[in-house]
Amino acid sequence: MQQRVDCEFEAEVLAAVLQSRWPHRADPQLQKHAETCTICADVAAVAGLIDNAREQSRASATLPDSGRVWWLAQVKARREATKSAGRPITATQLIAGAAAVGFSGAVFGATCQWFQEALAGFSLSAALTEHTALASGMAAVIILVPAAAWLALRRD
Amino acid sequence: MFREMTFTDVNRAAVDAQADFVMDEDTFRAFYDRNARGVWAYLARVSGDRQTADDLLQETFYRFLRAAADHDSEEHRRNSLYRIATNLARDARRRTLTRPHADVAGHDIETIANRSDGDETSADFDRAMSRLKPRERAMLWLAYAEGASHREIAQVMGLRPASLKLLLFRARRRLATLLGRSETRNAAAR
Repeated sequence: MQQRVDCEFEAEVLAAVLQSRWPHRADPQLQKHAETCTICADVAAVAGLIDNAREQSRASATLPDSGRVWWLAQVKARREATKSAGRPITATQLIAGAAAVGFSGAVFGATCQWFQEALAGFSLSAALTEHTALASGMAAVIILVPAAAWLALRRD
Repeated sequence: MFREMTFTDVNRAAVDAQADFVMDEDTFRAFYDRNARGVWAYLARVSGDRQTADDLLQETFYRFLRAAADHDSEEHRRNSLYRIATNLARDARRRTLTRPHADVAGHDIETIANRSDGDETSADFDRAMSRLKPRERAMLWLAYAEGASHREIAQVMGLRPASLKLLLFRARRRLATLLGRSETRNAAAR
């Protein structure tokens, strides 16, 4: 059999409790019902205590003034807006910086005579075989630095 | 595509952030005065900590102001406010799971033993509430301190209305049992 979780007299008991009529000034029939009904007995037991606790808690609260809460909300909204507006600037600067480094490298490579001569005698496969650890380290840095920058930006 | 932002853009963004608030200052202040005390009491009871309630109150109203919600009534606004408070209290609890439950009625735990009969009932109640799950405390508080309907409680807590009756019944049963136990213990002690 399914357990009963509400009672048709629950609201009446609750009203009697909240109006301080429970138990002595409540309808005797309602009192009698609550003696045998677990749901109404529970409502009678907890509702009054919760209502008293509510009064105590509300009375003991020391709240900031509404003007101060409004002002702090404005300050926070401005700070967040400034922060989010500043985020694209940082990303733009990162991209611009990377592009500038790339462009400078390309110009240097295209115009510098000795660099081109040095490059002509250079074998990538031979260098990689000879300096495997160094090459792996450099590759890791090339991958990890942008990843770290992205993570730091995302956290902001 | 990214665009370089000037200081004027940044300032404009800051002003726009204020314009994003769901109400103007006068309306907000009246709304705050009507609801802050109730929200604080709710936060204090659910989080079990006055300091947490103090901290979360400002954040609750801030998030309410920034929420892009279209409220059609005072009741709707109030439900939104309590939903935000519920979520914030839950997040705060996750962050500080190891902190002990504190007394929220403005008394130090150490002084509970010295209370008079009325205070003793209050202490028993605080103790019993502290032994409930935060969700049970929230449901009971909304139902019996705030007078919220089952539909409103379900909305605030993100529960299905159909399951709320059963959950509320269980929470009430548990609290009544805990209170019954403490009453028996006090009677035996006297």
